[in-house]
Parts: sequence; structure tokens; C-alpha cells
Amino acid sequence: MSEPTSNPIADLTYRNYDGPIEPARARWLPIAAATASMGVKKKGFWLVAALSSWYYVVMLIVFYVIGNFTRQSGDRGAQISEEFFKRIVWKDQFLHGFGYSQMLFLVLAIMLGAGAIANDNRSNALLVYLSKPLRKIDYLFGKWLGVAWVITLVALVPMLFFYLYCLMTYRDQGFLSQDPLLILRILVLAPMTGLFYSSLVIGISSLLNQGRLAGAALAGVYFLTYFFTQLINGYRMNLLMMNPDQTRTGLDLLWYLSLDGINIALAKMILGTRGQPPFNAGQDFVLPVIPPAWIFIPLALLICGGFLAIAWSRVRAVEVVR
Amino acid sequence: MSVASFDSLTVRYGNFVALNQFSCQIPEGCVGLLGPNGAGKTTLIKTILGFIAPTQGRGSVLGSDIATEGDALRQKVGLMPEQDCHIPGMNAVEFVAYAGRLAGMPQAHAIRRAHEVLEYCGLGEARYRNVETYSTGMKQRIKLAQALVHGPKLLLLDEPTNGLDPRGREEMLELVRSVSHGKGVNVLVSSHLLPDIERVCDEVIVVFRGELRAQGKIQDLKRVAGQPVDVELREPSPEFAAALGSRNMSWEPRGLSEFRVMGLNTPEETVHAVYACAAQAGAQVRSLAPAERSLEEAFMEAIHV
Repeated sequence: MSEPTSNPIADLTYRNYDGPIEPARARWLPIAAATASMGVKKKGFWLVAALSSWYYVVMLIVFYVIGNFTRQSGDRGAQISEEFFKRIVWKDQFLHGFGYSQMLFLVLAIMLGAGAIANDNRSNALLVYLSKPLRKIDYLFGKWLGVAWVITLVALVPMLFFYLYCLMTYRDQGFLSQDPLLILRILVLAPMTGLFYSSLVIGISSLLNQGRLAGAALAGVYFLTYFFTQLINGYRMNLLMMNPDQTRTGLDLLWYLSLDGINIALAKMILGTRGQPPFNAGQDFVLPVIPPAWIFIPLALLICGGFLAIAWSRVRAVEVVR
Repeated sequence: MSVASFDSLTVRYGNFVALNQFSCQIPEGCVGLLGPNGAGKTTLIKTILGFIAPTQGRGSVLGSDIATEGDALRQKVGLMPEQDCHIPGMNAVEFVAYAGRLAGMPQAHAIRRAHEVLEYCGLGEARYRNVETYSTGMKQRIKLAQALVHGPKLLLLDEPTNGLDPRGREEMLELVRSVSHGKGVNVLVSSHLLPDIERVCDEVIVVFRGELRAQGKIQDLKRVAGQPVDVELREPSPEFAAALGSRNMSWEPRGLSEFRVMGLNTPEETVHAVYACAAQAGAQVRSLAPAERSLEEAFMEAIHV
């Protein structure tokens, strides 16, 4: 006679669950973890995440080359190096790194969040979620947070790496003295873009039944607003070339009215800079003004809130046709 | 003791009344919720879970009010929906463990429990396959597994045999019967398939046009008024019929050698009279049983069709 096995799975009879149950206040946590985990497993996620740090990598190489090799080539080289670093506005590097990666953040938002609710709509998964002891707010917050914190990390990690490298290497070149609060500004900047794109993609995802359609819709909004602001910029530059002394605040503000423009506007407000070109070409007059906080902070909140309100109204366990 | 009770529950979709002054007590055990399509069965289940707010009336399930204690109620209830439902991109273990996590189970417990219920539901071999690749029968099973993972005290099964082939249907019914008997789990099975309900349930609730039409044990509902008995003789016997007539017993033929004999004052009296008539007619009784109608007949009477 064989020995009875101690493996519980070998016992196929049904037994009730009498183990521990976690408090109901954190039911959004597994949803956020699952959303993030499924997102980062997607093909191409890590490639896009790595690409989003391209500006910092390029600048680190440039700084390294100029900081080391020019100094080794005698007094003239040292002078070039000194003049180069004098022109560097350190916080502008973060603004450019952030601004140039906007499209990649959008791609990440689509990869992570386009299917977050749309695919649940398609597969009736909301019945699974909402028949469990959690609320609609847990579901939405979990989905939103799952997208937001991954984008935040992708934005933050290269910024922090760049900051630490510069802090250790270029303190004598004014890295810390230019803006001692820069680290705090970075810590505010990175989550902002995560929260913004997460709100948008969750709102659009809730409207559709397919992640791909939701992704295409968000990309459509992004590019439509982007092309609008590029047209505005073309017109603005034309006017500036004709009359460089005249200020055109209205056009400057219109230049920010795209999805990435709003992010850049908020970044300029947070970092407190207009954003000199990477190597400070000195054409200050072409730079748009720092947008006023009283317009762009409420605007960003309104957009985020609007898209989240759409998601709130769309997420239902049952479709009731009246 | 009742698992759930509803008092004058009314649910409206605009002008359409889906549940109309619905009052009933759902007893422990396996209870069938019977009704034709559109009768209000699924609406009742969705109201129990808090998906739809009743416009009037009250209800409680396992001691929790359906209007105000949704979270506590859903902790004790598991739902197997009618439609296919799964979380895209997950295999069966991940899906069921995730359902457990949503119900508040710690990660390690949820994974262990997922393996257990998948084995119990017969999906042990396919547990690492993506749920989207499952057959209809397997999808039904995984819906049951995710409903069972957190150890609910009440299981709501909405059309559990929907879309299954005969073998799959048999297996699902066996599974439902197994979980609902002697495991401490009460089951409410919503279906319009009478044989399925008869196979697994002890009691039924008949709903029609949002109203409660009948409720009780299946045996009681199938019982024919007047306590008649069905008699089967070994061979046709006109003498037996004549003997019944001579004792003023009313009867009706059910076949060549089968009779339905109307009851006398007590069942014992009826049985004695039948045997006496058989002896008088020289007929051999092959079977004698209380007369029953089919569940379908009882159901049709309940909904007045």
C-alpha cells in the first residue's frame, strides 16, 4: 500500500479557504502591480525605456570628452573646456532630456495603459474585478497608478543618474551652485509626466474595447496637437525673424498647447528656466516665455481630471441599457 | 436558516421593471433560480452583488445588506458570470491567483490556493496555458475556479453549462453538485435548463417577469395534488380497472398496463386499496409509486403558460 502524499495538491477534494485576508483599504495595490508587471513584460518596453534616456547619455559622453580629452591637449584645450562648462546651464539639460523624450513617454504610456481598461472591456474582466470585494475607485486607481509609476521611474532614473554623475564630477563647474534645489525640482518633475500620461491613456482606454484602438486614439491626439503647435511655432518664428524685439506672449502660450507642450510648460515652471539650447547658442529671443502657472497648472489638472472622469463614468460592471 | 432574504425588491431599467416587489428567502444548500430568458434571474444576481441599485425594497445576503455592505458581502460571495471573462495576458494560475489577490488573499496564499482550485476544477494540466487559448468548457471551469478561490460561502452560478457539449455539461454539473454538497458552500444556480437544475439542486425558485412565482423543494413542486399513485402492472388488465371502479376509486390510464390512481384519505389507505384491487383482478403489480409530474410541468404551471 502506498504512503499517503503530503502534497496538498494531490488532495483533489474541495476545502474552504480559512487563511488570512488583507485589509480592504489596499485592494488597488495588486491591480497596480499587475498593470505594471504586464506592461513591462511587453516586447519593446525596455528598448523604449532605454531610448528615453538618450539625451542624458549623449550629454554625458559630450561632457566626458570635453572635460577630459580637451584638458589633456594643453592650455588651449583647458581653456576650451572651461569656456564650454561656463556656458552650460545645468537645469536646462534636465529640461531638454525631459522634453526630447516626450514622444517616448507617450509610446510607453500606450504600451502600458492603452489596453489597461480596453482589454478588460473586451474580455468582460470587469465582472471579475467588481464581483470581488473592491470598489470602482480601487480598480481605477490601481490601473492609473500601475501606468503612472512605471513612466515616473523611466523618467526619473536617468535624471537621477545624470544628476549624481554631474554632482560628483562637475561641482566645480557650478553644477550645485547654479541651483541647489535642483534635486527637489527633478523629484517633482518626473512624477508629473507619469501622472499626466497615465490619466490620458486610462481615460481613452476606458472608452474602447481594444487596446490598439485606444493607443491609436491617444497617438492621434498627441500628433494632432503637436502639428498644431508646430504650425504656430512656424508662424511665430517668422514674426520673430521680421521683428526680433517685439514680444509675442500669446503665440508663445499657444506653442505650449499640445500634449508634450503642456508637459514642457510644466517642466519650465518647475525648473524655473526658459531652456537655453543645449550648448547655449545665445539666441534667447527665439525661446518662448516661461508660461504662467495660473494658466497651465489648472489646464493640466483639468485635462487629467477630465480624462479620469471619463474613465469613472465608463467603468461599470454591467452595461444597463435604458 | 436562510442564506439570503429579499423584501419587496424592485429593480428598474428606465421604464422596464426587471424585478417587481420580489420577496423571498434563499435557503442553505444548492438552490436553482429558474426562469425563462429575461425573467430577471441575472438581474437578481447583479443586484445581490451591488452592480445594480434597487429602486425599492431591501435585501441581505449572509447577514450583509445588499445596499450598504457591498464589500463585506462580496467577500463572502463568488460569482461565475454567464459571459466569458478573463484577464487578458494571464495564464490560469496567474488569473486565479490574481482573483484571490483582489479578494484580499496574501500573495503566497493566493498562489497556493489557485493551484488547489484549478486541480479541483480539472484544469491542473492546463494551468500554465494562457486562458485566451482555452476551449469553451475550460473557460467555464476557470470561471468557476476564480469564483471559488477566496473560499466564498455563497456561490452564484449564472448559466454554468452555457455553450458546453454533453460531456462538458455532465462534468460541470458534477462539479457544481460536488461543491454544493457537504463542502460548506451554498450555491445559487441560475438557469433556464430544467434538467440541469433538477440534477444539482435541492430547491428551486421560479422567477417570471421579475416576480417570484414558486419556491420550494423540487420533490414538493413535482408532487401532484391529491396524492395519487402510479401503478404499473405486469400485463394489461381490464379487470384491475373494473376493480378500481367497483371501489369508487378514480383513475386514469397512463399506458397499456399503467394507471394513475387518485389518492384516498391517506397514502397508506390508497396503497392498501390498490393491492386489494390487484388481488381481486388477479393482476401482478410491478411498481407502485407516488405520482409525480415533471419539473417542466411544475415550471409551466408556475409561470401560467
